Amino acid sequence: MLPHAKSGSLASLPDDESAHNVAPALGTLEQREKELADFIENAAVALHWVGEDGTILWANRAEMTLLGYTPAEYIGHNIAEYHVDAAVIEDILCRLKTNQKLEGCQARLRCKDGSIRYVSINSSVYREEGRFVHTRCVTLDITEQKKSIEVFERLAAIVESSDDAILSKDLNGIIRSWNRGAQRIFGYTPQETVGRHISMLAPPEHADEIPDILTRIARGERVDHYETKRKTKNGKILTISLTVSPIRDATGTIVGASKVARDVTQRVQQEQALQEANAALQRANSDLQHFAYSASHDLQEPLRMVAVYSELLQKRFGGKLGETGDEYIGHTVRGALRMEALLADLRTYAQVSATEYEPKEDLEASDVLKKALANLEGSINETGAQITSTDLPRIRIYEFQLEQLFQNLIGNAIRYRGGSPPRIHVAAVRQDREWVFSVQDNGIGIDPQYKEQVFGIFKRLHSSAQYPGTGMGLAICQRIIERLGGRIWVESELGRGSTFFFTVPC
Amino acid sequence: MAAVQRFSLRSRAEKANENDPKLKPYSILLIEDNIADVGLVREALMEHNVEADLVVISDGDYAIQFIDNLDGQAGECPDLVILDLNLPKRPGRDVLESIRKNSKCQEARVAILSSSDAAEDKADALKLGAHHYVRKPLRLAEFLDLGGFFKQMLAASRTKDA
Repeated sequence: MLPHAKSGSLASLPDDESAHNVAPALGTLEQREKELADFIENAAVALHWVGEDGTILWANRAEMTLLGYTPAEYIGHNIAEYHVDAAVIEDILCRLKTNQKLEGCQARLRCKDGSIRYVSINSSVYREEGRFVHTRCVTLDITEQKKSIEVFERLAAIVESSDDAILSKDLNGIIRSWNRGAQRIFGYTPQETVGRHISMLAPPEHADEIPDILTRIARGERVDHYETKRKTKNGKILTISLTVSPIRDATGTIVGASKVARDVTQRVQQEQALQEANAALQRANSDLQHFAYSASHDLQEPLRMVAVYSELLQKRFGGKLGETGDEYIGHTVRGALRMEALLADLRTYAQVSATEYEPKEDLEASDVLKKALANLEGSINETGAQITSTDLPRIRIYEFQLEQLFQNLIGNAIRYRGGSPPRIHVAAVRQDREWVFSVQDNGIGIDPQYKEQVFGIFKRLHSSAQYPGTGMGLAICQRIIERLGGRIWVESELGRGSTFFFTVPC
Repeated sequence: MAAVQRFSLRSRAEKANENDPKLKPYSILLIEDNIADVGLVREALMEHNVEADLVVISDGDYAIQFIDNLDGQAGECPDLVILDLNLPKRPGRDVLESIRKNSKCQEARVAILSSSDAAEDKADALKLGAHHYVRKPLRLAEFLDLGGFFKQMLAASRTKDA
């Protein structure tokens, strides 16, 4: 319902000309007023009048619908209550009072549900004899446009600020857009590229790719993470990863392509450097293994000569060289034999290192234990060692290696015995995804400060006169276990025996 | 070291009756490049009073020529070939093949005497027709025992001939 302005009826609102234009369809004045009032009330555009002090005098249904208020919640209130930005409405009113006409003035209005609508306001003041009667305000909802502009601007900002080069081209390969990333990577400004053919970026040996890519795009295909070379403005060749996708217009027709190019030069160089370093490491490792293996073989031959010929000297000339001569020959023979033992262990160590993993079959640990004990039969009988064991599992390991483990650990337990005959217990306990084996003895034990050192190559805690040995046994054990992905350690106290543990993955 | 060395191993002072085939000295071909091992083989044979003519060849290539030449000449194949695997120029494996191909050497006994304890070397040599594979011992006593072992092989070759 229209308020009754002091100016009188609405019928007087149109000027003479418009009155003339609409005149033919109209009946009585009263009828005209009714129809106009209905027309304005039901117009699909939000309309209102505001008084000089900002009080809302009248608003049509479209405005109520737009903001969600009932007439009682809106009409009679001050328009400033519905503006989000106080400064904006102040400015609007101020301008209207000074007789300015507002066109497309943007503002934000708060709806009843708390949401905010962006509007564009056109307004002027209806005056009578210079007196401010009310505004003539038309409010257009531009929220959707505003949102799409925001989305567009955000996307544009993302494209613009991307580290990657993002550009578009048409199906002929002509560059249509060029972001800052593209400028940073390739060195060209948009002015230097937009309108030119994309082949300006391809080094000659990669020029063939361009028509291929365009053909694929025209077929609607994508090019994903294609690694290739491109040339910068100053001629530097970059390794880039390209993703090219078709751009379609509203009808779905492919009109061009968007292209995202990432400079992966550094990554590729790092990968190459890493690969080279890795290959060098593998070569060095294999050289070292080869060296250890052949050294231990090749050293053995001259050593055998020393050993056998010093024995032959002893046999032929023993007693003729005097006691000292015999003693010296004895040193030579023992030295050669000890070195032979060292080389044999070094060979085993190198052999373990060179063995390919994985073992293919499970084997019965108890069978291997029996074998190891048979190898140790001499020293077991000699020392009266008693060896007990729990049930042992089936595990995946090379037989030769498990035999080495048992033989070295039990051999040590016998060798480093205390005053009483060795009592040795072998056990295996399953813990999560591994078997924990243990070899426990009642021997002389190990000072805990050496419990890491004993696993080192040629590391010994005693002279070979006191306890014979090469210092390789535990190093071999550790190497075997490391290659299997298990762990090996010792728990011990001096004089209280030792327990060696090793784990084998299930 | 000369390509070929010849040794005459005799246990007794008096000359053996060379006309009696049963008393004829054995012939042994030792193919070995290590002069010290040649010395040890001689020691081992003498230790067991083996009476033999010992021919020593120190490289694989010459050994193959020597074997091949047996065909064209009046020469006879040795009773026993003691062959090292790791030789200059041609490996012992090739020498073994040429021995096995030679018509005159079908009956020759072959013992491999190698420092290798690799199972594949042993299997390969036996497959190619070696009778025995012996790893060069580290202890003198074991090396000297080889003399007895070779003596048995020689005796076996004569028994077969007779």
